[in-house]
Amino acid sequence: MGNEVVDHGRRRFLTAATAVVGGVGVVAAAVPFIKSWEPSARAKAAGAPVTQSLKKIELGQQLIVSWRSLPIFIVNRTKQQLAALPGQDPRLVDPKSDGSSSAQQPKYAQNEARSIKPEWLVMIGICTHLGCVPTYVGEMKPEPFDPNWQGGYYCPCHHSRYDMAGRVYKDVPAPKNMVIPPYHYVDDMTVQIGVNPKEAS
Amino acid sequence: MANVFSRLGGWITERSPGLMPMYRKHMSEYYAPKNFNLWYYFGSLAFLVLVSQIVTGIFLTMNYNPSAAGAFDSVQYIMRDVEWGWLIRYMHSTGASLFFIVVFLHMFRGIIYGSYKKPRELVWLLGMLIFLVLMAEAFMGYVLPWGNMSFWGAKVIISLFGTIPVIGGHLVDWIMGDFLPGDATLNRFFALHVIALPLVLLLLVVLHLAALHEVGSNNPDGVEIKKGPKGNRWSPLAPADGIPFHPYYTVKDLFGVGFFLLIAAFIIFFAPTLGGWFLEHDNSIRANNLVTPSEIKPVWYFTSFYGIVRVMPAFLGTAVWGVLTMFAAIAVLFLFPWIDRGQVKSIRYRGTGFKVGLGVFVLAFIGLGSLGAGVTDKVFPEWFGDVDLATWDNNFGRLMILLYFGFFVFLWAYTHFGWEKTKPVPDRVTMHD
Amino acid sequence: MKYFFPVLALTLGLLAGSASVQAEEGHGSELMSSGASVRDQASLQRGARLYFNYCVGCHSLKYMRYSRMAKDLGLTENEVMQNLNFTGAKFDGPVISHMPPALATKWFGKAPPDLSLEVSAKGADWVYTYLNTFYLDPHSPVGWNNLTLPNAAMPFPLWELQGMQTAVMKPGSAHQVEKLELSQPGRLTPAQYQQATRDLTSFLQYVSEPAALQRHRYGVWVLLFLAFFTLLAYMLKKEYWKDVH
Repeated sequence: MGNEVVDHGRRRFLTAATAVVGGVGVVAAAVPFIKSWEPSARAKAAGAPVTQSLKKIELGQQLIVSWRSLPIFIVNRTKQQLAALPGQDPRLVDPKSDGSSSAQQPKYAQNEARSIKPEWLVMIGICTHLGCVPTYVGEMKPEPFDPNWQGGYYCPCHHSRYDMAGRVYKDVPAPKNMVIPPYHYVDDMTVQIGVNPKEAS
Repeated sequence: MANVFSRLGGWITERSPGLMPMYRKHMSEYYAPKNFNLWYYFGSLAFLVLVSQIVTGIFLTMNYNPSAAGAFDSVQYIMRDVEWGWLIRYMHSTGASLFFIVVFLHMFRGIIYGSYKKPRELVWLLGMLIFLVLMAEAFMGYVLPWGNMSFWGAKVIISLFGTIPVIGGHLVDWIMGDFLPGDATLNRFFALHVIALPLVLLLLVVLHLAALHEVGSNNPDGVEIKKGPKGNRWSPLAPADGIPFHPYYTVKDLFGVGFFLLIAAFIIFFAPTLGGWFLEHDNSIRANNLVTPSEIKPVWYFTSFYGIVRVMPAFLGTAVWGVLTMFAAIAVLFLFPWIDRGQVKSIRYRGTGFKVGLGVFVLAFIGLGSLGAGVTDKVFPEWFGDVDLATWDNNFGRLMILLYFGFFVFLWAYTHFGWEKTKPVPDRVTMHD
Repeated sequence: MKYFFPVLALTLGLLAGSASVQAEEGHGSELMSSGASVRDQASLQRGARLYFNYCVGCHSLKYMRYSRMAKDLGLTENEVMQNLNFTGAKFDGPVISHMPPALATKWFGKAPPDLSLEVSAKGADWVYTYLNTFYLDPHSPVGWNNLTLPNAAMPFPLWELQGMQTAVMKPGSAHQVEKLELSQPGRLTPAQYQQATRDLTSFLQYVSEPAALQRHRYGVWVLLFLAFFTLLAYMLKKEYWKDVH
């Protein structure tokens, strides 16, 4: 038995070939298991676009609706709140939302008020620090955390602060401006969240 | 690159003293007889299926909902809404049946080559325990989808315990945690199925392998290679008829794995229900405690034992006899090493009586299986015309039970009184291919 | 070893034999062969159209989403929402009938069942046969009866397509049906009607297991890959075992 000379080259080649093909098989078999963690059809259906009328939101008021289980802040900003926005720029991390926060909003909301129509703010109310929901503090009056408060958001978890356009102030834990979701106006007083203006037309 | 790996390997083995000796003991210097044939694939295949069941099972629990209200819907959720969920579930459901096919063949291998005999009695006992736990595991898993067969299967099987005198009635309520299978039943079965029994199963598998490697593998000739001459091309001290498990049997088993996966993939992708044998039609109907499926029967791997319960009559005012007989049919398998007194292990050199007896035993097992699966109810009228089915089933089933147990009585007598005429066993193993 | 293959063949033969017996089993009457297939997309589309015109009024498909159906049947969102979805349900939502269960129970004696898993539970042949064995029965409260499911609670919804069948009794019997006769033709010829019910059955078979389409698509590649791997492993085994032989 086994007296012939072993062909080591062939043996090594076959071992390598089997190992590679087997490895490919194991990786391919892992794909379905990894993919099964993707949001399911049910989750995606629950994440379908949300349509919201703006009619009942009064000046200076905020309404929170749920889209993909996320809190969506819809605010009817006052003239004063809007007027105060440019004045905040020096105190903000990324006032033009073109630096570290350039991916935090769709292109059509990359402006001073971070919105399609200046008066209506539509924003995902999740702090960019660790994911808490910041509190809306709309009144422009001195607050314990900021004597010069011009309205905005204050996060109860680690005291991050944002202005009335969801732009983050300097020297707080949160690194970026809050996220603006894709949305568009179905008509003058109705927004649909989850669909870009282009996709809607 | 290879250098990096070997250095990393060295670094680890230097710091974990048990690793290399273990690898040598169980792989590179475990000398297995060189004449293993086709029957010897099923051990490694059983291990493969076990691993696959654990992995797919873990992923199923991620989306399964163990409640009477949500279980059935959650299975459909897995089948439709979860990406690739259907594949994971079909792998698990097909795996369950393939597990039993492989285990049955593995056990049959042990019987035809006398692998349960001295010095491997413990290997056999541990293997039988694995079989027992596997049956419990499979039964509880079968209940989880909460289809109508799940529900009634659970009810009927649990009711078996109700036949036990005195405590039976209360025992049934205790097992179900309710007066019908319900949320409590489903939750405890889920806990046992996904964590408790798999742990026991894994422990038993480790012990089964440890016990095997202590005494060494048997082979189709039933020759003890450790008692034969020493010295082979790998070691002067190793048995001459042994070859290192790695690489020879690892590459051979790899081929077996490929072939097995081909069959498994064919079923999973093209016939996941296998005509109602692997996944039953009636289990596509939500559990309904008011309507028993018209053809209630367990999944195919339980049908042989279920067939026994079906045909055993009640007497002395209790139905416990069927249940006792069923458990006896399993218990007697544990005793194989002591019932069979023959010195010759392999069927190749055993007497004709053993071969015929074993054939009858296998036919009885299959016969009881077809009875339990309701096949006889269809076949008898087709073959014999308009017959009294109940009587035919009963007589046929009782005959099969008689043959099943008769085999063990015969085997004991045949070997104990020296009636067996064996052929001479060779000193060394033989190679056929 | 030498007995292995004969025994294996015998076992498989027995299994296959009993499986076919299993498949042949009748539920009250002999089942017709449906010829349904989920591979014929045009047939699935026709079946879907029938389902949404004649069935969905009462029978939900609660596990089936419109969006999934559109994707699998090769239909656009608009086509589905305008031609099939008559309830105003969401595109991502499931197919739910608008019939209130309480009213249905009042009208038919029981709520019409959800048909998501009908083919899985009963088999395609059963559904096909059921759709082809309705007949006029003056003794039935709904005016119709069915050979496959005697005393079915459902009045025949497709009568304007098939027409009306009446039962011809066995000689000397008042209840045993010998065969059904088309006493009044419908809009479709018998052949067209059979094709229509075949389409409907195919659609319900698809609904029972939408994953079947994926199974067939990926299965071939998986088998080819495994065959290649097995071949390699076999060559590797042969190579190493030269040492032993």
